[in-house]
Amino acid sequence: MQQNRNALKVAVVAVLTAVVVVFTMVVRIPTAKGYLNLCDVAICFIAFTFGPWSAFIAAGLGTALADLISGYAQWAPISFVVHGLEGLLIALIVRQKNDKEAPMIRKLLAGLVCIATVSLGYFGLSSLFISTVSVAAAEIPGNIAQSAVGFVLGLGVSGAVKRAYPPVRSLAW
Amino acid sequence: MTTSTFVAGKGWLYRFDPRAKILLMLLLCVWFFLPVHLVGLYCVVALVMFVGALNTGFSHVSKTFRSILPMLLFMVLFMPFNVRTGRPLFTLCTLTIVTEEGLLQAARLAGRFIGISYVCTLLFATTIMNEVMLALRWYRLPYKAGLVVTLAFTYIPFISDSFNQIAESHRLREADREQGRKFLQRLRDLVPTLTSALVVALRSIPNLAMSLEMRGLGLQNKRSQYHNLASYRHPFTHFLLSVIIPLVLWLLCKA
Repeated sequence: MQQNRNALKVAVVAVLTAVVVVFTMVVRIPTAKGYLNLCDVAICFIAFTFGPWSAFIAAGLGTALADLISGYAQWAPISFVVHGLEGLLIALIVRQKNDKEAPMIRKLLAGLVCIATVSLGYFGLSSLFISTVSVAAAEIPGNIAQSAVGFVLGLGVSGAVKRAYPPVRSLAW
Repeated sequence: MTTSTFVAGKGWLYRFDPRAKILLMLLLCVWFFLPVHLVGLYCVVALVMFVGALNTGFSHVSKTFRSILPMLLFMVLFMPFNVRTGRPLFTLCTLTIVTEEGLLQAARLAGRFIGISYVCTLLFATTIMNEVMLALRWYRLPYKAGLVVTLAFTYIPFISDSFNQIAESHRLREADREQGRKFLQRLRDLVPTLTSALVVALRSIPNLAMSLEMRGLGLQNKRSQYHNLASYRHPFTHFLLSVIIPLVLWLLCKA
């Protein structure tokens, strides 16, 4: 039974990691200053549906792999920490003991935490290790927009997937 | 979607043991934060770029540079205005615009950024992902973590293709509505595409879990491995070089 559970955990995390990579790399919505990617949609969906540990590993690993593949290897450790933490915190906030939906106030709090984690995390770590405070500060508005849009879409997608594919609940661990 | 970062080549960096290469990458990343002369810093950056050009070709080096150029420009253009200390170089009335200290800091940060970018890129351009994973396993990365990354790389093209097909079908259905849609409407219209792509991906999980179970994941018996790093000769020499190179560079360039 334990072996069965281990295989399921590995399969869930592997596929969700691939989903995060694809959402980060394939979907790019052009904006005035560059583009938005949808990694936060995948991360929020995973956090809402699969729980904190799946969210932490898949979000961190997925975004780090996307950075490696795109040729921005120097950002990979930062993405791993920031997005991993984002997934973990959102999942911890919205986690429910029973099968009911989390109340709206908790979802709102999760949204705020999501935006704060991404924007402040990237600001702090990139100004410390890669760029400068001014360059890192210039990225804050873009990160806020991306995580806010990602959170709202992730919330919508999470409900839609649960309705379209009910067995998804049995895959969570 | 191409997930490979490997650039085929025959240079000496390709023959360098991946375990030693990871150590060298980490030590060089640390090196860029050490207190060194600015000239020394740029000499090392030039050396790394030269080694990169010798091994992966000039086109790869220029491609990497183009990818970091926008951020680099931003850094170089705005950094000098944020540092007000030091000898003023350009003043407007009584306001100091650029100082020598600001320019030096901008140059140092830009050099560090270029150096770290090239060092990280070179590791993945000269080592196939399979060998990176084997090297990380040698550094005691848990087996399951390595398996997750390998499986994720296998599934990325499948999920990406499914996503593109689904997006195309949705676009065809809404061809007449494509014109003049607002940003929010376009975002809202993404939900069905994302939902369908996610359902396709999630449906593959039970099959994958079953195949992993059938192949004996979690059993206590030691698993056989088809790939190993035994083909790399002289690992000790490579490890020694990985430690000596940053050390010598630091002794030569320390401030």
